[in-house]
Amino acid sequence: MSSQKKANFQIEAFKHRVVVDPKYAEKTWKILEHAIHEIYNHNASGLSFEELYRNAYNMVLHKFGEKLYSGLVSTMTSHLKEIAVSIEASQGALFLEELDRKWTEHNKALQMIRDILMYMDRTFIPSTHKTPVHELGLNLWRDNIVHTIKIQMRLKDTLLELVQKERAGEVINRGLMRNVVKMLMDLGSSVYQEDFEKPFLVVSADFYRGESQLFIESCDCGDYLKKAEKRLNEEIERVSHYLDAKSEVKITNVVEKEMIESQMNRLVHMENSGLVNMLMDDKYEDLGRMYNLFRRVPNGLSLIRDVMTSHIRETGKQLVTDPDRLKDPVDFVQRLLDERDKHDKIITLSFNNDKMFQNALNSSFEYFINLNTRSPEFISLFVDDKLRKGLKGVSEEDVEIVLDKVMMLFRYLQEKDIFEKYYKQHLAKRLLSNKSVSEDAERSLILKLKTECGYQFTSKLEGMFTDMKTSDDTMKGFYAAMGSELGDGPMLVVHVLTTGSWPTQSTTACNLPSEILTVCDKFKMYYLGTHSGRRLTWQTNMGSADIKATFGRGQKHELNVSTFQMCVLMLFNNGDGLSYREIEQATEILTSDLKRCLQSLACAKGKNVLRKEPMSKDIGEDDTFFFNDKFSSKFYKVKIGTVVAQKESEPEKQETRQRVEEDRKPQIEAAIVRIMKARRVLDHNNIVAEVTKQLQSRFLPNPVVIKKRIESLIEREFLERDKDDRKLYRYLA
Amino acid sequence: MAIQKDRVRFNVGGKIFETTGTTLAIAGRESYFAAMFDENWDLQMNPAGEYFIDRNPDCFSILLDLLRTGELYIPPNVPEKQLYREALFYGLTDHVRSAKWGQFDGNRLQPLKSVTGRAPGDGTAIRASPDGGCCVAHGSMVHIYDWMLEEHPPINLDYQRVNDAGWVGSGDPAGLVISTCERVGRGQGGMGLFNSTTGELRYKYSVTHEGIVKSYTAGALCFNDGYNLFSSCKGRSNEYGIGVWDQNTGQQVDFFYEPPGWSLGDADKLQWLNGSNCLLVATLFPRKDNCYISLLDFRSKSMVWSWSDMWSPANSDDRRVRDAIAMEENNSICVVNEFEDLGFMDLRRESGSVRWSSRSRLMKGKMPDEPCYPKLALHEGQLFSSMNDCISVFYGSDWVLTSRLRRCFGGSICDFSIGGDRLFALHSEENVFDIWETPPSSIV
Repeated sequence: MSSQKKANFQIEAFKHRVVVDPKYAEKTWKILEHAIHEIYNHNASGLSFEELYRNAYNMVLHKFGEKLYSGLVSTMTSHLKEIAVSIEASQGALFLEELDRKWTEHNKALQMIRDILMYMDRTFIPSTHKTPVHELGLNLWRDNIVHTIKIQMRLKDTLLELVQKERAGEVINRGLMRNVVKMLMDLGSSVYQEDFEKPFLVVSADFYRGESQLFIESCDCGDYLKKAEKRLNEEIERVSHYLDAKSEVKITNVVEKEMIESQMNRLVHMENSGLVNMLMDDKYEDLGRMYNLFRRVPNGLSLIRDVMTSHIRETGKQLVTDPDRLKDPVDFVQRLLDERDKHDKIITLSFNNDKMFQNALNSSFEYFINLNTRSPEFISLFVDDKLRKGLKGVSEEDVEIVLDKVMMLFRYLQEKDIFEKYYKQHLAKRLLSNKSVSEDAERSLILKLKTECGYQFTSKLEGMFTDMKTSDDTMKGFYAAMGSELGDGPMLVVHVLTTGSWPTQSTTACNLPSEILTVCDKFKMYYLGTHSGRRLTWQTNMGSADIKATFGRGQKHELNVSTFQMCVLMLFNNGDGLSYREIEQATEILTSDLKRCLQSLACAKGKNVLRKEPMSKDIGEDDTFFFNDKFSSKFYKVKIGTVVAQKESEPEKQETRQRVEEDRKPQIEAAIVRIMKARRVLDHNNIVAEVTKQLQSRFLPNPVVIKKRIESLIEREFLERDKDDRKLYRYLA
Repeated sequence: MAIQKDRVRFNVGGKIFETTGTTLAIAGRESYFAAMFDENWDLQMNPAGEYFIDRNPDCFSILLDLLRTGELYIPPNVPEKQLYREALFYGLTDHVRSAKWGQFDGNRLQPLKSVTGRAPGDGTAIRASPDGGCCVAHGSMVHIYDWMLEEHPPINLDYQRVNDAGWVGSGDPAGLVISTCERVGRGQGGMGLFNSTTGELRYKYSVTHEGIVKSYTAGALCFNDGYNLFSSCKGRSNEYGIGVWDQNTGQQVDFFYEPPGWSLGDADKLQWLNGSNCLLVATLFPRKDNCYISLLDFRSKSMVWSWSDMWSPANSDDRRVRDAIAMEENNSICVVNEFEDLGFMDLRRESGSVRWSSRSRLMKGKMPDEPCYPKLALHEGQLFSSMNDCISVFYGSDWVLTSRLRRCFGGSICDFSIGGDRLFALHSEENVFDIWETPPSSIV
């Protein structure tokens, strides 16, 4: 092939591509478009599913997917625009119904369109990241119907109006509401929220703000709470009937905020019907309602708690500081228990046994019980009363209940050691005069104290019980050994008390009548014979005696008297008409005790076995006493009590307190040494804090006292001050 | 779907079939039959009482049988491709796929096919997709095959060398993440998410260092259940380490900077450990002179376990770790050397040594001319290791060799991958890959 020879031929590009009839796509789409029209016009019965599916398949297969998709979008859009017009045209109340009807129809049509376009949905749409047919249908509905200006506002207003009507008590078509709201939810949660939920919450907030204002002006607290509760339940019910379940929290928040949170201070402090009144009148139902409503809002419960706390403290303070109440310790304690029961019941019934309220109740009681320094004494007296007589004929469980309640009060006490002091005295009296109703009850209480405060707290109390038991055995032994020698002398019962276990009292010996003295000496011999190395001291102030007396007209009585009284009465066996001074000389009883015992012998009505001249209420040192021949009583046994103030008198109280203070000193010192031994070096404030912490189960030590104890320990060279830092103490081993 | 009368007659391309609504219901909601029997349609039978479908009757027969029996039998005269196309028409591809091959079991694998690629040799990586397809990275190209082993348009990365690839999302089509080398001076490279059907780039994953977007080389990839994507990164200046991105948004969420004296940015292998919420990072010879294996805890930004052979340099030439895989159930890491000796390290002991189980001394001396480094994979308690032209399957507490997979051409296996209940093995000499699958368990 020469180069000159111009090649004059062209190579035709080889066209291998088969071009589908360009009208094919158009024709096929026409068929499908027609079908979509027919579906929307409820005329689908003439359509062949197989043909339509195949046509749609072919369009995708032959790369006309894009055309099919865009055709679908425009056809569906134009139908929806028509539908929008017909919905807009609907009159008044028919609006929602028309919307709902068209929505149902659209859904059905959408389902059928999806059926025929299933192949496109499966292949073309995912690979091109387009919106699937069903979702597309919803989006188009949203944009062309729900979000058109005319429908959007009208829809919102209609829905809100219906809710408002229902709130006003009218009956509305809830089924229709539910369908329309469901439509909004189907269109996506953001549509539901923007088009309905948000305005709904705003309108609701306005409504409840207004209503709460109205109610608070016109109702009392209880009624207001009833109404608020009703509204809250209504909204919850509304959500369950036709709103999205997620709206419940939001709408209840609105009600809570507007009806409760914004009014709660006013409600709680409402005059004549607020929280304090409810507490005073035991309005369990109202209180329960308040609790349930207030706990829904922030700080609601703490508001109730604070008001309740100050109320209890206030009433409690009045109770413990009222001088009238102090006259009767048993009643005093009973009132405390009643007060506690009352509030306990309120917390159980109305406050769901909420720990927060229980704690508030406890702290309030702790606060006011300790306002009165005599509380420990009174509580012990209350127990004394219960254990002497109060529990007679009461079942074991009930005894336990009473004791548990007492223990609860005991827990509130800061000065538990003072209680212990009194309790010991009272227990001693009960044991020695055999007045305790039930040993089981006694032991049960001691066990409770032991679990509460530990072994050391009750070891002495337990020692007292042991002494009583041993004494019984000793007496049996004494009579078995010496019975024959004693003849028909007076019967002697001796309790041998261990020093230290029992409350110490200055021993005021008195001259015992010679008959008694003989027996006593014999016992002493017997006892010391069996227990060597011991010392016995007669505690005549704690004893008692039963003596038989014959009066003027021959009537016989058995007199139950104290040892002192017995000594006095025995003097009258030898002579009548004894002056005070003579008695004092013969018996050597302390003046105060003697006066007390004479008073009960001569001045107590119905028990005046002595006659006094002059006849006056008080015992004078110049008085003269005679055996009262004319004494009479309908009982054979006459119990002549000593005039003893059950409550301690002022000086006695001072004495007890002083003794308690003395007892505390070594305890504080022991605590300081324990702490310093462990810590070696510590500053003043920390020592005080630690000592207080260690001792608080027994009493609340006074910082001034602690300081004194530290100084004393420094003097005794247990501690020293740091040379550089005077606030620091060092432990000296 | 309401099927009125249970008996249904079809006329498919002129052939009559009779079946029941119950059988058709097995096809499921996303099928032709469900749409057809949608109660909204006023279905019309032809005068003979049949529903006409203008499709191939032979394929219909196979698919109807599949619905009836759950088993797929393709007679030799029906091309598979044709059947797949028909299945796609009826919306039955999922049925076909699950009937075609069964649950993966390394000891029951059968070779399905070998696919020949375009260019000989030097494939970089093969990655199985969740639905049974795969992709082959080769130079700067990634070839994509679906489960029917139909090739899709390849992804061309404009001369950037591909380092690794991985599938994200189980959607149809799944996305494909590709990591590439940085091209100096062009500011390109890094990673991108591609549409596996069309090959288009959806978005790129970028590395930001102190607020500035940096160009970088992305190495090994790894994904976790929490939609995170991990990659070893080498940046221009400081950005050596492991980057973390959100798979869905493409946003960088974290970056673990390489500590001094340690290698992370060059890592060959990343593995997410679900149980301990840690990432295993292995940098192996010859990328670096030494091997580094570490476990990273991203929450505390700490290396919770680490091992390196720089601590045991003596005569380690024949003990070079070539791949590593963590086995959480056994609290150990399995490593392999170039003679396919397996070694184990205890994850519970800090800086433990490798306990080699000397298995295949015989290999020494008769290595092929062009050896490939062994690779490891773990699937449902079975350990896979590739060596030369075969893959070994180990099983049981002491990892006994239970099976060996081998095809006789294509030369050494340079990479393999398990996914979509299939195993894909890429050969180095020819651009050939094999597909192994487990036959469906026999019904009788």
